Amino acid sequence: MSDLAIRFSGVGKDYPHFTLDNIDLELPAGGIMGFIGANGAGKSTTIRILMGLIHQDRGTVEVLGRPMPKEQAAIKADVGYVSEDMRLYKSATLDWHMKFVAPIYPGWDQGYAEELLKRFDLKAEQGIKGLSHGQRVKAALLLVLARRPRLLVLDEPTTGLDPVARHEVLGELMAVLADERRTILFSSHNTLDVEQISDQITFIDRGRIIAADDKESFLDRWRRVRLAVPTEVTLPALPGVIDTTRSGHLAVITVDRYDPAMAAAYGEAGATVSVVEPMTLEEIFVANVHGRRERCAA
Amino acid sequence: MNYPMVKRLILKDWYLMRAAIAGYLGAGALGLYLLTVGSEAAFTAGYILLITVLIAVGMHLAMVTVVVERTEHTLPFVMSLPISPAEYTAAKILANVLIFLVPWAALFSGAIAIISILVDVPDGLIPFVTVVLLEIFAAYCIVLAVAVVSESQNWTIGATVVGNLGLQAFLYYVSHLPGMAAANTGPMAVWSPAIVAIVATELAVIVGSIGVTFWLQGRKRDFI
Repeated sequence: MSDLAIRFSGVGKDYPHFTLDNIDLELPAGGIMGFIGANGAGKSTTIRILMGLIHQDRGTVEVLGRPMPKEQAAIKADVGYVSEDMRLYKSATLDWHMKFVAPIYPGWDQGYAEELLKRFDLKAEQGIKGLSHGQRVKAALLLVLARRPRLLVLDEPTTGLDPVARHEVLGELMAVLADERRTILFSSHNTLDVEQISDQITFIDRGRIIAADDKESFLDRWRRVRLAVPTEVTLPALPGVIDTTRSGHLAVITVDRYDPAMAAAYGEAGATVSVVEPMTLEEIFVANVHGRRERCAA
Repeated sequence: MNYPMVKRLILKDWYLMRAAIAGYLGAGALGLYLLTVGSEAAFTAGYILLITVLIAVGMHLAMVTVVVERTEHTLPFVMSLPISPAEYTAAKILANVLIFLVPWAALFSGAIAIISILVDVPDGLIPFVTVVLLEIFAAYCIVLAVAVVSESQNWTIGATVVGNLGLQAFLYYVSHLPGMAAANTGPMAVWSPAIVAIVATELAVIVGSIGVTFWLQGRKRDFI
């Protein structure tokens, strides 16, 4: 069996106004991948293909070593999936949902489910209709976590939550995830959410994977360099520079794979490095997206 | 085929529909009672109520268990369970047909029993009642097929409207079959070749619409 929990090879899906194109994606068993993209970038389409909910037009998908969608029923027995647009039955209680799901999964852990009820501050006998959106997300998470899946797929689970509920859900999720080692794919357009949970990051934009690496590498590689630049000085074109913004005597350079030698190169050209700043994951994501879009437009 | 999972999904739909089915059975029981009152007006009202209940059950079932599953976003929850699309389709069709058959069989057997027992209601009505209720069952299977394949509220409503219009045309056609009026008022149930042919056609439509649903679902590539 492969050590990869997820493997996409050249996966594509065509819609009239959107194409998911040549997706190559690998997530080793035990990894936690943050899958970041703007709304409409193709995150949900990718995840739906991963879950067998839609079928790819080309390419191959393997989940937990099995081909998807061919063996989707067997695969889904080991996968817990929660998506932003997933709802439970309004007319039923959480207890009914637990009793509905429990016999389906041999790994269902009733003790853990009851522990999660307390941790998520949920009442089993409460109807789904009366739950807030945050509580519904927690209920859906409980239903997948208590079956102890080998792979957890979370498609924008925090979207639509107010800041307090989002903080609670993420906090509880991180506490739960600290309990044991699971493979997780967590998609969001909110980089802060992803940054807290993930050890690997993949950016997707307009149907294509534009960057993928482990989180620390992203944070180590990317820098924003602020320069004082006399008006007559032309900055040299250095490798890794994604964006250059000049305003009067000031310039801001966004760099992928920053090298301290760059400061010397700018100095030789007549500019002075004022500060080299680390970038947040959100800034790195935005720089990646803008960089790729500009390259595509050029 | 993962039969335990299919069974679980059927029981899930039954659980979600059981209160509504109980209500329809109550309305159907009222319709059956009106058939026994003894006046032509009550008999007509009971007959109309029975037909209305069965049409409403069919519409309600297809909308709640199929269309609403998509519009209320419970479909991703169900499809995330360890089932294949074919198993989901099988569960959905079986659940719908079996749940529909609960009130249908109850009202059909009740109507036949009343016709058989009451002296002033001619037994000659039995073939007529049979073909009419079978037509409603067949029309329901077509509505179900449209709902499962299209998952569209508009298409499902459209299919129901067409089905109801078809029922009116069917009633006119059957009522005007040669010898039908006389047969309906006769003391014995007469299964003429025309009636047998209609029953055979209705059964073929039921089986055919279910088969077409499986075939079309098997060609689908997107389920969300």
